Amino acid sequence: MSESTTRYSPLGPARAVKGFLQQLLSHGGAKVGLVCLVFFLGVAVMPNVLVGPLQTAVNATGDFLAPPSSQHLLGTDEVGRDVLNLVVHGARISLTIALLATLISLFVGTSIGMIAGYYGGSVDVWLMRLADFFFVMPSFVLALVITPVVLEVMGRGGDILGFRPSLFVILVVIGMTSWAFVARIVRSQTLSLKERTFIDRARVVGSSNFSIMVRHILPNLVPQIAANGALVVASAIYVETSLSFLGLGDPLQPSWGTLLSLAQRAGAASAGAWWYLGAPGVCVLSVSLSFVLIGNALDDTFNPRRRVIP
Amino acid sequence: MNGGGTSRHIGRILIRAIVTLLMVAILNFILFRVIPGDPAKLLLGGGRVSATAEQIEAQRQNWGLDRPLLPDQLVDYLSATVRGDLGYSFKFRGRHVADLILERLPATIVLVAVAQLIAIVVGVMLGMYAGWRRGGALDNGGTVASLLLFSTPSFWVGMILVVVFSTKFGWLPGYGAYSPGGTISSIDSILDHLRHLALPVTALALGLIGQYVLVARAAMSDVVTEDYMVTARAKGLTNRQMLMRHAFRNAMLPVVTLIALNLGYAVAGAITVEAVFAWPGIGGLTVEALNARDYPVLQGVFLLLGASIVVSNMTADLAYGLLDPRVR
Repeated sequence: MSESTTRYSPLGPARAVKGFLQQLLSHGGAKVGLVCLVFFLGVAVMPNVLVGPLQTAVNATGDFLAPPSSQHLLGTDEVGRDVLNLVVHGARISLTIALLATLISLFVGTSIGMIAGYYGGSVDVWLMRLADFFFVMPSFVLALVITPVVLEVMGRGGDILGFRPSLFVILVVIGMTSWAFVARIVRSQTLSLKERTFIDRARVVGSSNFSIMVRHILPNLVPQIAANGALVVASAIYVETSLSFLGLGDPLQPSWGTLLSLAQRAGAASAGAWWYLGAPGVCVLSVSLSFVLIGNALDDTFNPRRRVIP
Repeated sequence: MNGGGTSRHIGRILIRAIVTLLMVAILNFILFRVIPGDPAKLLLGGGRVSATAEQIEAQRQNWGLDRPLLPDQLVDYLSATVRGDLGYSFKFRGRHVADLILERLPATIVLVAVAQLIAIVVGVMLGMYAGWRRGGALDNGGTVASLLLFSTPSFWVGMILVVVFSTKFGWLPGYGAYSPGGTISSIDSILDHLRHLALPVTALALGLIGQYVLVARAAMSDVVTEDYMVTARAKGLTNRQMLMRHAFRNAMLPVVTLIALNLGYAVAGAITVEAVFAWPGIGGLTVEALNARDYPVLQGVFLLLGASIVVSNMTADLAYGLLDPRVR
């Protein structure tokens, strides 16, 4: 029933990790995904080192919508900015939003699922009814109507924790609307875990409910959370790209979706400027595919019997 | 089979659907009250026109804004929503939101229906075949391609299609639903519409095909390892008989559920694609509402998306219960 929940390893944690990695990397897809991710994370960590500071309309150097050349490897946009520069800086913004949104989503989903499963009764019923709503309503649809209203309340100026307000709002809204899937899985795992003897033992020695949840149940949930976390990132990137494409992003901190939105408004498609809209799109595609591949490989490694995709 | 259990099962599904829709409406109510500025002022010109205090007070009374938020205004709001009164647009002054949505809905339905139809036929057939011949070259290649399609935003596929087929080769139009100027004969007009449909439909269908292939393939490869398939082979059935009599029908169960679910998300999924092609549907309306901060329209769209999602979820649940008696 839950052979995947407790992984007692007599070989010690280091070897367990090694064995896990070997198993994970035996999936061709996971290998490709990891290499691709490491590349993009590297790019996102040091955009200034790689391509210099983010270009603006003021300090742009190229021609308007110039095709790729030795000077501008990925061509230029409609105000002469280097597309490579924009895409590299976009990596940092897109990945940060997606990863932070995922952290929020995992935190909320894990807390709600664990509390619902652990306490049961009416707490469970009400929390899961709430989860049902967010499970049915996609993050994109909720964010589409919540984001502009929250932005209207907060104003679009200034910044919050280094983010432009629209990006901050988008990442919080994505995080707060995409946790239901995680909550369901965590709840069902918690239901089976709380019947185990080691939980009874902790209760007998006087551990509080909070400490049982955090110290005994949570560590056993890590596999499920990790596998689903990767899929949450993929969907967060998708939602962020779509929202930014519809104009909810911020041109001062352009994510890949915002770049696509700018390209669309500049008529890049009808001008045949394939490099301008191709570059951010390929980035979105590679990163979300990587996370899907890694998520599936993690899922397969932890639950060998439940295969979704080979 | 137990009749009482079945009707209780159906009752639960209905109640869940109603509760979800109610939450959508309540969220709409809260969001509208959160927007800064006096709603009475907003009604008198979106806050841009100056109005006298008496005018504002008259508006407040006229719209019941002087009454308590809870429960009076909420109840009013909900009953108006049920009657189909979604308020007035800011941008298209004086027009009912419901009228605007109904006006734009047909274009979206045409786009989504054609794309879904193509995706269901192509995706399910390819996926079933890949699952039946699991591990073959077509299976491996097809799965990678489907994952790729599934991970690619449809609207970006649309942009690339415009660059290639519209800008570079000039084969198909990449903008709008009809050529400007209009055509005289109705046959020409239909052909013109179909040509405009080609690229947005392809963009939307490709992503859906990826999804249907993955699900149909997984369903079929689950079925082929079942005991009854071994029995069928032992009985001496041919491959074709096994596929038709046993595998296909059983594998369709999760696929039908996914189709029912997807139909609800289809309108939402088309929003960004419509934005690329300036398609005159709900997506186009959403983008206009976002740009003009036309909140009543945005909320109307949200209600429409919510309703279509809830209805399709309900249908999927009911269909699952009908097709698989074990669920009841």
